[in-house]
Order: sequence, then C-alpha cells, then structure tokens
Amino acid sequence: MTGYLRAFFANRTARPFAVLVLIVIVLGIGDDGHGRVLTTSTAYDVLQQFATIGPVALALGLSMMVGEFDLSVGGILSLAGCVAVMAGSGSPAAGLLLAVTVGALGGLLQGTIMTWLNLSSIGVTLGGLLTFGGLSYFLTGNTTIGYDRLDVALGVNAPLLGIFSARSLTAIILFLVATFVVSWTRFGRDLLAVGSDRRAATIVGIRVDRILIAVFVISGLLTAIGGGLLSYGLAAASPTALADTLVPGAAAAILGGVSLSGGKGRPIGIAGGVLVLSMLHSGLTAIGVPPFAHWIVTAAVLFTVGILDGEELSRRVYSFRRAVGQRPDTPPPSASSILVRQQADH
Amino acid sequence: MNSIGGQASEQPASVVSRLWSIRLDKASLIQGIAAVAVVIFAVSTPGFLSATSIRSLLTTVSFVGCVAVGMTFITLSGNIMSFSIGASMSATTIVFMVSVVLGLVPALILAFLFCAALNGIQGWLIGVFRANPLIISMAAYSMIIGSAIYITGGRGVYPLTNKANILTANIGPLPGPLAAFLFVAIVGQLILSFTRFGRNIYLVGANPRAAKASGLEPWRTVLWAYVAAGLCTAVSAVLVAARYRSGDMEHGIGYEYHAISAVLVGGTAIQGGAGSVIRTLVGTVFIALMQGLLILRGFGIEMQYLLIGLIVLAAVMLQWKGRT
Repeated sequence: MTGYLRAFFANRTARPFAVLVLIVIVLGIGDDGHGRVLTTSTAYDVLQQFATIGPVALALGLSMMVGEFDLSVGGILSLAGCVAVMAGSGSPAAGLLLAVTVGALGGLLQGTIMTWLNLSSIGVTLGGLLTFGGLSYFLTGNTTIGYDRLDVALGVNAPLLGIFSARSLTAIILFLVATFVVSWTRFGRDLLAVGSDRRAATIVGIRVDRILIAVFVISGLLTAIGGGLLSYGLAAASPTALADTLVPGAAAAILGGVSLSGGKGRPIGIAGGVLVLSMLHSGLTAIGVPPFAHWIVTAAVLFTVGILDGEELSRRVYSFRRAVGQRPDTPPPSASSILVRQQADH
Repeated sequence: MNSIGGQASEQPASVVSRLWSIRLDKASLIQGIAAVAVVIFAVSTPGFLSATSIRSLLTTVSFVGCVAVGMTFITLSGNIMSFSIGASMSATTIVFMVSVVLGLVPALILAFLFCAALNGIQGWLIGVFRANPLIISMAAYSMIIGSAIYITGGRGVYPLTNKANILTANIGPLPGPLAAFLFVAIVGQLILSFTRFGRNIYLVGANPRAAKASGLEPWRTVLWAYVAAGLCTAVSAVLVAARYRSGDMEHGIGYEYHAISAVLVGGTAIQGGAGSVIRTLVGTVFIALMQGLLILRGFGIEMQYLLIGLIVLAAVMLQWKGRT
C-alpha cells in the first residue's frame, strides 16, 4: 500500500491531481456548508479559466519539455486576438484561421532564427515578445477594437452540457491531442529525448533543429488558438488586455511537473496544473476571498516549485542538517563535486 | 581578450576595454554604424536639436536608464532578467510617498532599503538554491502585486507635502533625473570595472561552475548583484515618485521590458558574463533617440513599440556565435 502511495507521489504527472483533490477538500471546509464550491456554476467557471490559461500553459510547457523557454506567448496571444477580431467580422472561422496562421508563422520565424544562428531561446523569444506585442499595438493603432459579431462572442462562451463551453472544449481537445502526440508518436518521443539530453539525441540521429522549430511552431499555434477564442469571447481585442498570462501559464506548467531543465513532464500533468490554478481562482472567488489572494497563491506556487527545482537545494539541505548537528550518512552529489571528480579523472 | 568574460582573462585588460568590454567584431561594427546612422538622422530632423526637445527626451530616458543599469547587473551575473523589477519600482514609489511625511532623508533611506531588500531576497534564493531566475522573479512579481492590492486596495498614494520637490530640481544645466542617471551609470561601471565584486560578476556570469571551482561562493555575488539592481531601481523610483507627486503601482508598469531592451540593444550578452553598464547607457540613449525621432516625424506610440521590438530582436540576433 505504501509502495503504491510512494510511487504515486514520485510521479510528477500525478502530483498536480493530488494537489487538486486537496484544494477541493480545503475549499469545501472553507465553504463552511454554504454549498458554493461543488456547483455546476463553479465547474463552468473553472473550465472557462482552464480555457484561458490552458493553451498558453501547454505552449510554454512544451517549450520547457524540449529544454527551451518560449517567452513570446504573451505577445502572440495579443497579436492573435487582434488579428482574429479584425479579420473575423465576416467569417469567424476565417479570422481564427488567419490568427492561427500568424501564430504559427511567428513560431516558425523564432525557431528558425534560434536554430540557424545557434541562439538561446530566451533572447530570441524576448525579442519576439516585444515584436509581436508591438505588432498588435501597430495593427490596432493602440486602441481597443470591438468585435461586432455578438452572436459569436456569446456562442463561444455559451454553456454546453451544463459545465462546458465551445472555448473550454477546444482547450480540452488541444490537451488530448497533445497527450496523444507526446506519448504515442515518434515526434513526441524525439521531443522528450531532445529535452533530456540534446547531445545524445543528436548522436542517435534525431534532427534536433527540426524538433525545436516544430515545437515553437506548435507553441505559436496553440497560443494563437487560445488568444483568438479568448478575444472572440471578450468581444474585443486590445494590445494590453492579455498581458498577464505569462506568469499563470508558467506557474501552471511547472506545477504540472514540467522540469525547467527539460525532458520531464506530460501534457496531462500540465492540464492538472492548470486545473489547480483555475480551481483556486474560481473556488476562492466563490467562497468570497478577495481577488488579491490568487496573486499570493500563484506566488507561493512559483516560489515553492522554483526552490524545489533549484540545482543546489539538496546540497544546502545537507549542510543545514550538518550545521544543526544531525549527521546525514551520505553526502548528496553536488554539481561541483562531480565537476572536481571529472577533472581529477582526466 | 576572449569572447566571454573578458575581465576573467589572465592578462590585465586595458582601462578602455575594461570600461567598454568591447570586442572588435562584426556585431560591434554593425552597432556602431546603426548608432551613427541614428545620430545623423536625428540631427537632420527639423526641431530635434532644440534645447527643450533634447531636455525632455533626456529626462524621460533617465527613469528607464537607472532601472536598466540595475538590470545590467542581473544580466551580467548570468540571471537573464528580472520580471519583478517594474513591480518593485512601483512598490518603492508607494513606500517612499507614504514615508515622505517623516521627512525626505528617512523616506529616502526607507525606499532604498526596501527596494534593495525586495530584490536582495530574490537574489539570495536564486544564488543559494540555484533556482531559476525567471520563475523566482515571476513569483516575486505576483507576490508584490498581490500584497500591494491587499495593502493599498489598488489605489495610489498622494501625500500633501512638498518635501520631495527638491528631487525634481535641476543640477546646474542638467535636469535632476539625468544627473542621477549619469551618476548611477558611472558608479555602476566603476564598480564593475575596478572592484573585486565587479570581476566576480563577470566570472560567475560566464561560468558559475568555474567560479565555484576557483573558490568563489557564487551565491554571494548573485545576492549583491540583485541588491545593486534594487538600489539602482530605487533611484528611479524616488525620482518618478517626486515627479508625479504620487506612489502608485502604475508607475513601473513595463519597466522590466524597457530595461532589458536597453541592456540587449547595448550589446550585453543575454547569457551573462559579457557586457557593461556603458553599453546599457548607449542602448538606453539609442532607444530614446529612435523614440524621439518617431514622435517628431509624426508616428504614434504604436510605431515605437513595434520598432523597439524589432531593434531588440536584431540586437539579439547580432549575438550569434556561429555553429558549435
């Protein structure tokens, strides 16, 4: 029994779902019998949040799984929203298609620059973030553009089957497709191989450059779908409105078990991470906690996971325990001791 | 001088190359040509050379400039950028404006301590645990925004006092903020070029493992780099607060992106270990010149955003090192 439990908690993908259950229980206690948490309207809210953060978290998570970091998601989200609203007054599908094309092209451009010039993804996507953000200012002329198709705006958010909407169903389908691709296709296997050890991946014959470019195209594509539908739902596009998605997206991805050093994590885990944040957001609002709380909670999540993922955590804990008098038996291997050992071998 | 971490090379570098951290390569050449082109373009634009237009340009650039000098310390130490630097600047304007009723000097001390601590804590976490700097600064961003909404209810602080007005005065012919910016840049560069701390920043940024193997404790350097960034940001915060006579979470919005843009356009390497404050100064002025030009030639703010994005992208592409 304990063996099963230990295996469950060691599983990075299962962890967010355990946290989710815990949060529902805590919120249920905090609700104090008013019946405000486990309702269909909260479930609908959670899924709407899921649809907003989910595609960005998935895009960011995939780039982290391959060992990179796509900062440009914020810019592409705004740009795709503006393109969709401006081009979609006649046919919403055509507007969304154009937005998705723009997003994929943005990813293609960045991925190509990165692999061609052998640059770090953070620098290139920082430039991309500012360029795509600037492009959405340029397109809209620094104003908010209203969307004249109110039927579409209501349609994408209209409840389906009680708790779903067209927007949240799209996000769920995106996660299912990503799960399938990562777990059961050659591309997914190559992606994780590139993320965990790029040199080994090159040696066994994986075309690393192609995988990287493909991941950034997919990242742009996912973000653009999310941004387009979000702007349709808001019936407006403005270059500033969607700026605050990078932080929750990153929080959801690392909460979902994606490692910052690459190679670890699954789309299902990311979905779990997004659900945790959405549940917290909607649940806290439902039981009447003021909105500043979700910033603090996001901060706590990021601090915790950021420190737990720190390369030197185990070494610091070891020296702390020594300092307070408990003597652990074996010192943990630290990066520097391995380095020194390697140098001694040569 | 090798391409990364010139300060760490064995031969003592000349004073000029210490200050500029320059490599005479294609990238520097292109940057030089771009700078000359912008200056010629600026001088040929009617109305640009008027004293008022230059003064207002240099005053507004100084606020971003101080933060950019601070960001240079973070980037050089190998920690890319801080997402929380704009929010910590906003929070510092509030701290300063709340405490200014106690008098100018106590308020200044409180503001500098607050901002240094806010960034120093992040530096400590990043240095001691080798935690990811982007994630920690995003966490700090959320924490600052959340706490500020809780404490101030999202409103600004507008004290009815003139005690901070002295900070808006001119120093001789120079606007006060410009003098402060130049002071911060010069001190920052002197620290980087001529102190052990400055040399350690380059070494830790270029190769933290090598720094560790040679007996340094990288976390101390990272911690002090963030404290330095906090102090530079506090300069900007008190100047902005004095100018607008308010403390508000709106003041610093976007400063993290403006600052990292100036750092990268100046040519400081995004992966750390190579660059300088002087480069950031040039980058800041370059971006400001472009903005001033666009305004004078009748373009709106949206064109500025787009152009800055493209310039940053081009600046990053200039850092390519060839295939490995």
